[in-house]
Amino acid sequence: MQFPPAAAQALQVLAVLLLAPFVSGAIAHVEARLQGRRGPRILQPYYDLAKLFRKETLAPEGASWVFLAAPIVAFTSYLIVPLLIPVLTDFPLPLGYMGDIMGGGLILALGGFAVALAAADTGDPYAQLGSSRAMTFGALIEPSVLFVVFTVALITTTDLPYAMAAVDRSSLAQAIRPAHLFAAVAFFLVVLSDTGRIPVETHASTLELGMIEEARAFEHSGPALALLKWGSAIKQLVLYVILADVFSAPWGLAGSRQVGSVLLAVPILLAKALGVGMVFAVIDNSFSKLRLYKITEFMASAFALSAVAVLVLYLGGG
Amino acid sequence: MQSSLLAAVPAPPTSFDGATEALAVVVLLVVFAMLREALLRSQVRLYAVQSLAVSALAGVLAASQHAGELYVLAGLSLVLKVVVVPTVVLRLLTEAEVDLAGSHRFGVATMVLVGVAVSVFGFLAISAVHINPSGAAGLPVPALGAATATVLVSFLLVMFRADVVSQAVGFFSMENGVSVASLVIAARLPLILEIGFLFDLLVAVVAFGVLMRAHHRRASSLSTETLDQLRG
Repeated sequence: MQFPPAAAQALQVLAVLLLAPFVSGAIAHVEARLQGRRGPRILQPYYDLAKLFRKETLAPEGASWVFLAAPIVAFTSYLIVPLLIPVLTDFPLPLGYMGDIMGGGLILALGGFAVALAAADTGDPYAQLGSSRAMTFGALIEPSVLFVVFTVALITTTDLPYAMAAVDRSSLAQAIRPAHLFAAVAFFLVVLSDTGRIPVETHASTLELGMIEEARAFEHSGPALALLKWGSAIKQLVLYVILADVFSAPWGLAGSRQVGSVLLAVPILLAKALGVGMVFAVIDNSFSKLRLYKITEFMASAFALSAVAVLVLYLGGG
Repeated sequence: MQSSLLAAVPAPPTSFDGATEALAVVVLLVVFAMLREALLRSQVRLYAVQSLAVSALAGVLAASQHAGELYVLAGLSLVLKVVVVPTVVLRLLTEAEVDLAGSHRFGVATMVLVGVAVSVFGFLAISAVHINPSGAAGLPVPALGAATATVLVSFLLVMFRADVVSQAVGFFSMENGVSVASLVIAARLPLILEIGFLFDLLVAVVAFGVLMRAHHRRASSLSTETLDQLRG
């Protein structure tokens, strides 16, 4: 029995939607263990979301519709990306050709932009501080993302994430070619900074001045806050999936729309995302944070790596 | 559906080419790490790592070409560059007992960006030369690009850092870049010439050692910032 293409596609989105809080919870749990605490239970994010959805939404005085629309826009943008990347199947489903890696990056950025607009709309200094930092650092890491995309384009002659995954799988020589390795490491650094791990952000901090991502949602409450939290968990999972299924380990995906193989891909996806998350948690807890103004050093290293990947390809081979 | 995705994909390099290119690029990336590293001791350790990559490159080439002299070269450079030179420099540093960290003339990000620009120049220059690597089993051309970029970025390290140790390490890593380049262009260079290069390095170590001591004795610092004034 086969899934119709639309159902398989919907299942990709649904898997990301439902597994994202679990991945966040598991990482928080492991992190607590690494720090010698017992930590929250793994399912805690689901309880938090359920609690927030039962509360009422409050808006600061003078906030416009932008403030109320932003969580929905952000949530929707983050959910569009799983249509474009290999989540469960290793071949593009009908809407998979809708956008390439650049398109996916653009949609992720749109979500961040909506949240930043809402933060500016509230007039809360902390929210604006957080969103302005998030936008600045996003702009700083963008050159590395671009060069990673160039590498993908030079290797696969297209920008489709599915094609990159297929090329990685096609032979060992493709998987270990230097350009691919360096681009993968550069993208790893990008994800590390984009999910608020390293180099400067303490994502579980309660100190407003050190916050980046967390501070942006300060004025939101109730279902809107739930959507934002859920959205950032989804964004994290989407980035993990791109890292694992496009750049480092695109194995274990369903090769057809057979019900069995598609459903089997779900636990494999979860295992891969948890694996990536554990690596990130260990890195996050074994390195000290940089000073805020040292962030350019980190960005420059990621950029040097991705630029070298393109250079090696340029000279042929690579 | 898989095949349509792979239709126009160019062939990857062979795993020998890939591995050697990756090693050559690691040599380049270590110079970038040196640019970033503030602690002098860590810089010397990074030089040891870089030399390890160069020796591994020589070893891989020796294994693929079944060349006994390349094995000798790999062993010699392993002993000299990974063990002897770093140990000597570290001992000199222990005797100096001043400055833990060298001074940066520019921000790290600026240095790395200039380094990237210079590497781009190195790679482009090599692509314009149309060089043929030595023989069928020689190293691939991108490794030569990485070697050129290594020499150029090491030169940047010498220029940008204002302390004797960084400048010495920059000079040594320039020599590593030249070694990689010689492995690409003339892997079967007579052993006696290669050994001659290695002894050049030893002479440089002695010279830099004398320089470090003399400078430290006069300025009681390893920084070269004080050298910009004439003494009457």
